[in-house]
Amino acid sequence: MFKDVVRLALGTARVYRRVSCSPLQQSPAASRVTVRSFTAVKDDVPPPFDSSLLDVLACPLSKKPLRYNPDTNELINEELGIAYPIIDGIPNMIPQDARLIRKDEPQTPAQ
Amino acid sequence: MAASVRTFVRSLSRKNACFAAVLRQSDCRWFTGAAEDRSTHFGFETVSEAEKASKVYKVFENVAQKYDVMNDAMSLGIHRLWKDALLHVMHPQPGARLLDVAGGTGDIAFRFLDYIRSQQEKQQRRAMSLGQTPSWRDISDGYPAGGGAPESAVVVCDINKEMLKVGRQRADSRGVTTGLSWVVGDAEELPFNDDQFDLYSIAFGIRNVTRIDQALKEALRVLKPGGRFLCLEFSKVTNPVLERLYDAYSFQVIPVLGEVIAGDWKSYQYLVESIRKFPDQEEFKGLMEDAGFFCVQYFNLTGGVVALHSGFKL
Repeated sequence: MFKDVVRLALGTARVYRRVSCSPLQQSPAASRVTVRSFTAVKDDVPPPFDSSLLDVLACPLSKKPLRYNPDTNELINEELGIAYPIIDGIPNMIPQDARLIRKDEPQTPAQ
Repeated sequence: MAASVRTFVRSLSRKNACFAAVLRQSDCRWFTGAAEDRSTHFGFETVSEAEKASKVYKVFENVAQKYDVMNDAMSLGIHRLWKDALLHVMHPQPGARLLDVAGGTGDIAFRFLDYIRSQQEKQQRRAMSLGQTPSWRDISDGYPAGGGAPESAVVVCDINKEMLKVGRQRADSRGVTTGLSWVVGDAEELPFNDDQFDLYSIAFGIRNVTRIDQALKEALRVLKPGGRFLCLEFSKVTNPVLERLYDAYSFQVIPVLGEVIAGDWKSYQYLVESIRKFPDQEEFKGLMEDAGFFCVQYFNLTGGVVALHSGFKL
């Protein structure tokens, strides 16, 4: 009876090893992905801006609707020529922090 | 001290000049340049209006990380009861939209979402008990697809980025993803269209605003007709004995706690001083009525330590 138990244990170990070996060979890409998820590296891509906010947001100065520019990640008021930055997915609607885009002015480091 | 104020004011006016050309078309009081002439209070100090905003910003930038811990320590956990009371008075129903101003770390926003969820569950339970099993249409409406019933949402607006950062971290750790948005904005110049929100709340934030009347007018503007304005703020204690104890506690214990826990005596000194300078219950009710709110009423909590003001836009 003891021999049966040992045989059973060895058999399961063999089966286990066989099961664990084959997926690794078949999907090396999957294992690479799991390794990457364990690293504590910050994402390169910033968190996406919630476009449902666009319906509610308006320029604090003129109360006109804003246009989202995904390239520079800013909210632009065409009329006044100012752009509000979106930092970390949170739009910054303080006029002092906004950037003038008329007259080709460089980004003013306000505050 | 005067020299630094002058240079600060001069740098402000330089920035104003940049914007003057842009803003000549739009009529906004923000850049009249008279802010440095008018003076207001910063705790027991008198400062120019322009300076107050930046000083308040620095205070909350310093305390942001330890804000929640300090709230629990200073109020012995009672601030949770105050905020729960705010939600009970607010009594939001599913589909309501809340604007939480000065809501930095998100206490009110999280409570709002939990309350809505429990209301929805209550409604479902009531429907079940009445023998109305949900039809396929009801079930599919429950799925968060586009269209369908208006979803309840809360927008947290704060002028301080650090506070919002802490709030966002808390939201991530709680696993709250939908129905919650964060915006950096000024309570005196809200970046929202008119008639947007059903509810507006400002909890322990309005005393830090430089011009309270302007903030109240903006609140009136962004609320829908029938919308409700709710304000939690420290106020005047009604009982004189309790008042003496409260004063002693405020001025002796709180700054010490601030130094020990957050390493910042001055910020908490500002906090207790700003409470003393804030108008009392009746005065604030008058301010709200002047701004145009109707059916203004207030509830004293903890013997007047905190007052909950409520008004409607009609």
